[in-house]
Amino acid sequence: MPEIHVENLVKEFGDQRALDDVSFEVREGELFTLLGPSGCGKSTTLMSIAGFQHPESGRIAVGDETFVDAARRIAVPAEQRNLGIVFQSYAVWPHMTVFENLAFPLKVRKLKRAAIRTRVREVLELVEMLQYEQRYPHQLSGGQQQRVALARALVYSPTILLLDEPFSNLDAKLRERARAWVKELQRTLGLTTIFVTHDQDEALSMSDRVAVMSAGEIQQIGTPEEIYRHPANRFVAEFVGRVNLIEGLVSANEGGGVLVDVTGSPLHLSVRDGAGASGSITIAVRPEAVTVLRLDDNSSNGTNTWEADVETVAFLGDHYEYEVNAGSVALTVQSSRRVEGDRIKVHIPPDACALVE
Amino acid sequence: MTATSYEPQAFPRPRRTHDPAWALHWGIWLLVVALIVGPFVPLLYASLRDRPLYEAGGVLTVQPYRQLFGDSAFWDAWGNTLMFASLTTLMAVLGGALIAILVTRTDLVGRKTLGRLTLLPILLPSLGMVLGWLVIWGPGGYLTAMFSDRLHLPTLAIDTIPGMAVVEATRLLPIAFLTCQAALSRADSSLEDAARSAGARPVRVLSSITIPMLRPALLNAATLIFTLSIAALGIPLLLGTSNNIVFVSSYLYNTWTNASTPDPGSVSAGAVMMLLVATALLVLRNRLLGAEARFVSVGGKSGRQALLRLRKWRWPLAGLLSFYLVFTTLVPVLGLALMSFVVVLTPLVPPWELLTSAHWNVLLDDETFRRSIENSAIIAVVGAVGTTAFVALATLVAHRSGFRFRRTLPFLMLYPRATPGIIIGIGFFWAYLLTGAFGDYMRGSIWGIMLAFCVRNLPLAYIVMYPTLARIGEELDRAGRAAGAGWWRTSRSIVLPLLKPAIFASFILMFVEIINDYDPAVFLVKPGTEVMGATMLAQFIQGAVGPVSALAMVQVAITVVVLSIGAKLFKIGVTGGDHGA
Ligand SMILES: Nc1ncnc2c1ncn2[C@@H]1O[C@H](COP(=O)(O)OP(=O)(O)OP(=O)(O)O)[C@@H](O)[C@H]1O
Ligand SMILES: [Mg+2]
Repeated sequence: MPEIHVENLVKEFGDQRALDDVSFEVREGELFTLLGPSGCGKSTTLMSIAGFQHPESGRIAVGDETFVDAARRIAVPAEQRNLGIVFQSYAVWPHMTVFENLAFPLKVRKLKRAAIRTRVREVLELVEMLQYEQRYPHQLSGGQQQRVALARALVYSPTILLLDEPFSNLDAKLRERARAWVKELQRTLGLTTIFVTHDQDEALSMSDRVAVMSAGEIQQIGTPEEIYRHPANRFVAEFVGRVNLIEGLVSANEGGGVLVDVTGSPLHLSVRDGAGASGSITIAVRPEAVTVLRLDDNSSNGTNTWEADVETVAFLGDHYEYEVNAGSVALTVQSSRRVEGDRIKVHIPPDACALVE
Repeated sequence: MTATSYEPQAFPRPRRTHDPAWALHWGIWLLVVALIVGPFVPLLYASLRDRPLYEAGGVLTVQPYRQLFGDSAFWDAWGNTLMFASLTTLMAVLGGALIAILVTRTDLVGRKTLGRLTLLPILLPSLGMVLGWLVIWGPGGYLTAMFSDRLHLPTLAIDTIPGMAVVEATRLLPIAFLTCQAALSRADSSLEDAARSAGARPVRVLSSITIPMLRPALLNAATLIFTLSIAALGIPLLLGTSNNIVFVSSYLYNTWTNASTPDPGSVSAGAVMMLLVATALLVLRNRLLGAEARFVSVGGKSGRQALLRLRKWRWPLAGLLSFYLVFTTLVPVLGLALMSFVVVLTPLVPPWELLTSAHWNVLLDDETFRRSIENSAIIAVVGAVGTTAFVALATLVAHRSGFRFRRTLPFLMLYPRATPGIIIGIGFFWAYLLTGAFGDYMRGSIWGIMLAFCVRNLPLAYIVMYPTLARIGEELDRAGRAAGAGWWRTSRSIVLPLLKPAIFASFILMFVEIINDYDPAVFLVKPGTEVMGATMLAQFIQGAVGPVSALAMVQVAITVVVLSIGAKLFKIGVTGGDHGA
């Protein structure tokens, strides 16, 4: 299975820049996700790889085959790129049965009837849709249509697989099942895959690596953990998961980290990140990284332990969500512990703090 | 997941050479340009020569224009035409808007059926309908005689400019109706609801919200109706002759056919002038359409609308509308039918005493009439199939391809809509004269006329097909391309099958339009290549009203039968022919 190289893509619609110097590499057999808000250029990137958009400049190669090289005026037509693609709308052809939908790419490749029959059944079995082969798409549920779309993208052994928000039309339950299923399928087949979504849970749970995009630019590329724990900037921190942002001024450098004076408050925050930083900075802290303690609990050693007023506590099944004010610093805290009292202590572990600006 | 035998396999890659997309795109585009721009080039050329194109020698000159502009009759004709077109537009737009509001925004009795019937006049053969009006309401018409001679009541003088405008307005009213209906059902009715809940009375809502909302649609319909009525040929020829009222189209027709020395130079100059006016109107209309799109409230899918309650007017207004439909559609058709079965149509003698089958026998016995029917039928079938297939492909190139010049196609395909039929006829006449053996063959056969008819009517095929294509998600053809099929394979296996309903609708509409068309043919017909419409015109001028009525009835019957078969088989409402767009 080949790797994908995308270099310096620029795509403009009129005077609007939909892609601004987008570069990334997808490794062999990896599930790589493009994550970002609506309109940030995810589909445009994917469609450029598939051959339905033509970037003004940049290069796209899969394995040792160059698909696009604007400088050398290379643009391989979509139908010769041999890649599998699943669209947001599934695009299952409504006038063909499930069988015919899968047979079409093989007919185009001039396979014999018997060979087509065997292969289609093989792939339908893979997606557990064999019993529906004679149905028309309108006789299938959304989830089943999605499997057909995936099967159709796999039936001709594409070199890579592209998925454009394939789960967005499914309801929440089904979506979760479909995610797990697609991820497992992808791993079993070892297929190099680019996956597009605006749903961060989906991105974090399925991907080997994630590229976060905003306004046509890539903000950060990394494993889900890196993205979540060490967001490169404020946008990534806010877009991926929930976050408390604390602003402050670096007052001292201390072994591998910094000491921060929190803006507009007498509090200090010790941060094990951003060694060498100076001036005013922003610190991101995930709500579940913060611990809550009773006011008389002295188990924490005092660093980054603040007294706080509890505004609200909400019970959310598997955890409690606290809205607290430590002086002028408002924090959201998620914890499985219920601590009684209007005034409590919160502790922010220094290694849970990420410098985002 | 079940254990699986799925293995990646190396299938042969699809080859580029297997898909003729490139050749198809260029071929279709060049053909569109040739068919639509082609006829106008020789026309322009002919208008700038000192002698007809078929005579050798000759130099470039503006003499034809000078001669034409020096003829005061030409300017009179323009005056008449503009007056006629303005009156027609005014009446058709007001009437169409009124009926559209009644049918979509009020609780009028039987509004659905009445709305559908309102569309009929534009689909019926226009020349036949004019004839129908003439035999009923003309100077010696049946009801005219009955009312004025017997009852001494004034009647509608349809041989005057306002009278002619009434006749034309009843034919073109459906265009205004369709445009307004579309605008009303697209527009967000919550605007109206908001005004209602703010306490405005229903009539007030209508006048201060609904009607202003319609303004872009009204302007758009008005431009189109104005353009179409400028081109009217049957009306001045059939109704204007007795009072010597000449329009530009009939001026050109008369100059061409009656002059002792044919003088096509000035006819071409007049045609070029008409073409310029029509083009200017089309450009104006494109601007207006842009404005209209901006006016549409985004995603304005109107839900359940609160209908304006007409209360005690529910029945009377429905009665009035029915009366209008009977008066403008049924009566002329009945008049035609009656006319075709009697020796003379007069209130003085009961029709059953004058019954005759002679007119119908003419259709069977007379070589010209019989051939006209045969030729028209052949042309309509072949032309409808050809136009539909061609326009389907051209629409795909225009909206579903990466072809470089695809954006020129929509304008080109809509252009003939703005062009008077008689001018298309003159254009093709010159084009055939200049294209050697091909042109000679076309001039000597019915295919020359068919081509002119097809070009004239292809905008309607595009208008029917485009909205359906726009609703077929582009991801469906992208999935085809990704699966390895080239443009042509994808179009053939995926897009065209999904476009089938529109293709059928387009075929039905093209058939009806082509079988009823006449004006592009008037300069192209020769003995042996007659078609129904052109024969009706020629025979009417020679006074054969009875057989011509019978021929018109044949047209009406074919139209009604084909439309109802179409509606039954393919569930096409009469709206299939969205002439308004
Ligand atoms: N055909 C087009 N013409 C003009 N602008 C376009 C076109 N396609 C996309 N755009 C613009 O380019 C930008 C990126 O679009 P794109 O479809 O890639 O967004 P996206 O990240 O996939 O968003 P979503 O999550 O909503 O699908 C958007 O601002 C969009 O308006
Ligand atoms: Mg998208």
